Amino acid sequence: MRISEFVEAAKKGNINIIEHTKKALKEAEKINEEYHYITAWADVEQQAEQLQKRQEEGNATGKLFGVLISVKDDMCVKGIESCASSAILKGYKPLFNATAVERCIREGAIILGKTVQDEFGFGTFGDKAGIGYKKPKNPVNKKHFPGGSSSGAGGLTKLADFPHLSLAESTGGSTAAPASFCGVIGITPTYGRVSRYGLIDYANSMDKICTMARTVEDAALLLEIISGQDEHDSTSAPEKVPQLTDIPANVNGIKIGIIKEAFEGADNHVRKQVLDAVYQLEQKGARKIEISLPITMKYGLAAYYVLAMCEASTNLAKYCGMRYGQHEKLSGNYNEYFSRVRTQYFGEEVKRRILLGTFARMAGYRDAFYTKAAQVRTKIIEEYNNVFSQVDVIITPTMPITAPTAEEVKKLTPLQHYLMDVITAPINLAGLPHINVPCGQHNEMPIGMLITGKHFAEAKIIQVAKAVENNE
Amino acid sequence: MEITPELVKHVAQTARLNLKEEELKKYAAEMQEILNTFEKLSEVDTTGVEPSFHPIPIKNITRKDEPNDCLPREKILELTKHKTNEHFKGPKVL
Amino acid sequence: MNNFTTDVVIGLEIHVQLNTTTGLFCGCPIKPAEPNTATCPICLGHPGAKPLVNEKALEYGAKVALALGCKIAPTITFSRKTYFYPDLAKNFQITQFELPLGNNGHLVLDDGTIVRIERAHLEEDPGSIIRETESVLVDYNRSGVPLCEIVTGPDMHSPEQAREFMKKLLNILGYLGVYDPNTGIVKADANVSIKEKNYTRVEVKNITGFKEIERALQYEIQRQKSQDVKLETRGWDSEKGITHFMRNKETEADYGYIVEPDLPIFEISQDWIRSIQASIPELGEQRAARWVKDWKIDETDAKIIANNLDVADLFEKVAKKSKPIIVSRWFRRDILRQLNESKLELNDTKFNENNLAETINLVDTGGATQQVGSNIIQLLTLQDISPGDYVIETGLQQISDSNELKKLCVETITEHPKAVEDYKKGEENSLQFLVGQIMRKTKGTANAQKVKELFEGLLK
Repeated sequence: MRISEFVEAAKKGNINIIEHTKKALKEAEKINEEYHYITAWADVEQQAEQLQKRQEEGNATGKLFGVLISVKDDMCVKGIESCASSAILKGYKPLFNATAVERCIREGAIILGKTVQDEFGFGTFGDKAGIGYKKPKNPVNKKHFPGGSSSGAGGLTKLADFPHLSLAESTGGSTAAPASFCGVIGITPTYGRVSRYGLIDYANSMDKICTMARTVEDAALLLEIISGQDEHDSTSAPEKVPQLTDIPANVNGIKIGIIKEAFEGADNHVRKQVLDAVYQLEQKGARKIEISLPITMKYGLAAYYVLAMCEASTNLAKYCGMRYGQHEKLSGNYNEYFSRVRTQYFGEEVKRRILLGTFARMAGYRDAFYTKAAQVRTKIIEEYNNVFSQVDVIITPTMPITAPTAEEVKKLTPLQHYLMDVITAPINLAGLPHINVPCGQHNEMPIGMLITGKHFAEAKIIQVAKAVENNE
Repeated sequence: MEITPELVKHVAQTARLNLKEEELKKYAAEMQEILNTFEKLSEVDTTGVEPSFHPIPIKNITRKDEPNDCLPREKILELTKHKTNEHFKGPKVL
Repeated sequence: MNNFTTDVVIGLEIHVQLNTTTGLFCGCPIKPAEPNTATCPICLGHPGAKPLVNEKALEYGAKVALALGCKIAPTITFSRKTYFYPDLAKNFQITQFELPLGNNGHLVLDDGTIVRIERAHLEEDPGSIIRETESVLVDYNRSGVPLCEIVTGPDMHSPEQAREFMKKLLNILGYLGVYDPNTGIVKADANVSIKEKNYTRVEVKNITGFKEIERALQYEIQRQKSQDVKLETRGWDSEKGITHFMRNKETEADYGYIVEPDLPIFEISQDWIRSIQASIPELGEQRAARWVKDWKIDETDAKIIANNLDVADLFEKVAKKSKPIIVSRWFRRDILRQLNESKLELNDTKFNENNLAETINLVDTGGATQQVGSNIIQLLTLQDISPGDYVIETGLQQISDSNELKKLCVETITEHPKAVEDYKKGEENSLQFLVGQIMRKTKGTANAQKVKELFEGLLK
């Protein structure tokens, strides 16, 4: 059932919201026991009761009436522990809702709970939730990781059979990667399209709240609801939000840009299946054009990581065991106390990125790293802008591999880890909207195709994604 | 550029992290490998190129000088263990 | 290398609290409140909160920059300055680094010294700390209060010049209406070095007010002359009147500035700059100079009257209803004294251009004596009376009638033969004494000039 169909039925009273929600909650709890996707539960039954009452009073309104929404742990939900899956924020219950969350609630959604992630968003596979968190598992095969950093969002979206949508978040590929590895739809909008108010920052100039669902239409519905300028976020875009739902799946005349290097770097089975899907689009009238993004493909990853780490290392300074989150016994001077708390509760990857980010913005190194990366970013944005004067969308594999196992991940050095983001990082650096659509499997593990559009062209990538969805 | 454990130690102190000797060595080696890759950015000719601090141009967004409601004190102090009735408590300063 | 030649080199970094209604980045009201009752997720640095620039603070900052002759940058950004301290809610301060609001201004001292203004920028204040033995108590009400930081070149050469600079700066800020001297705080950090010690630079932090700056610098210069000088940061202890070691320059934090990614850039249009420029009133020094030129007012009087914007405004209004030079003397002698003694702000008194002009004109035309005029001005601090009616009702009109005055003079001569004797011996003071006796008898209403002339005639 499409989400919109469920909503219509719920509004009419054809569905008992309380019973439906209780059943869904049980199912979610069962999934969680096995797969570890949820870090905190909202008061689901109480929300359901209120909606049921509203329905009975003839006051059932909203595009998400009765729909369960899971929220990535890095988004603030009032009164619900929101920690970006970091031990250092343990116990932090925000005093306000993120704008995206608030807009869902206004449309009658029920907040299910918080989904696990790589700590502060620092990960590609979903193996890096903070100290004390259980590692989430791939919904298709538990031996594999689900992808990250929006791991819980991807996994739960795949497994939840009840009407459910997920708020995810991407900085450098954190929605596309788990969507690809879990085999679901993940839309990352243009930077600024969705307010970041209430999002626990990773890298503010790249963070984007995203949506995940089992179908393009449902993910588009959620995106339509949360998009639009917000007075609480100066960087949210004033651009008018177009209709994103009910877009027809039509690729006739669409010009698809293909980046050769992006395919060359991918595993054979990934490359083949994505190209097969492109071929099917050509059969439906799309035109393939080979494009080149030399600076982007060679330097985009480095520019992304330098800027993301610089920003992240300043964002994480505020976690020091004093005003909220984790506390230790107060002793020693402020340097000693802050160092003690931070050393104890930040995970290994967080420390690595803090070190790299602090280094890259230190006097004497800043020009060569931070400023240089921001200049290279300008050239990358220009490169994309040029390409989008020739094509409507760019299609690449989302990830060069399918979801890896723990043993496979263990073999990677931190640098090799980062290199997995070679396709997603530059797109995120340039703030371009993109969508992951499943387009096949290899040894039952999902393969994802990434459709990227120019700034604010969400409707276009949704249109193409629907055609891919129809391929299968 | 050589990333020594001593340099990592200085960076860690700046970021308020205590790292043990073996951690310093491990991070130094990893950072060396990563920064060698990042350093390749110097190959890009950026003469006269303005840096981009956002992916899309965002200009001149301001707020009116009008007061909002403040948070009740008991709510903000509820978030911490280190407090008195009126104040946040923190580690001593030098 | 520096190329200093003077005995002492001083540069200042001054932080001025701007009197906006709300914070630099949040809507928390800026006014005295119980600890931690004026905070929000933004100024507490809660995860997920984002700063939002107060347009008024931007305007006020630009006003300060323009009044100091700065160029306004066409593009400005905010930056994060990262350091750890319990009063700093985010452990970074949002300030301006790469592209400050204003740069390249100057302020000229009375001796012609040009003090360069290297930059003027906006930044947020941290919270405030109370030290206890094993911990600190923090109040975040101040967190996010807008400050304008003004950085001078190393262009001052004595504590007196630093004091004068601060005084002039405060005068300008007062005129701009961007700073409230009653509630706002002005803090200075001074960089000071002396020739004898090869200009080794010491920073002295936390100096409040222009009197303190002179004291602190005088102390620090003496200290440098008598001790080894190291590159270091010291703190000013106003109570003890000494500076004390805070930290070495080598251990200075590496702030690792980055552009604040939660905020947009600001493109400053010429139109905006023009509109800010237009809102800047004629400043004190320009005003005083104009009075001296156009009205031939004494230069010192003019400067003192021009010091305070409200007083200067009132002076101009009264001057237009009377004779400016005479009005300036009344302001200098009586009105400013009343303000000083009563510790009232001009707005809290009943002074207005009508009652002051009437009083001054009354005395000027002989309707009341100088002394009665002074008394009326004293009364006007608290009640709005009509000076003309007042002298009539209280019988304090000036006595200028020669016969009446002559009668009193004769009486006085017989009462004080000793003084008469002395006067005749050439004691000028005796004449003053005799005039004083008449003033006492008449409760100050006698026309003193006339009395003097009468005595001179009678005692010839």
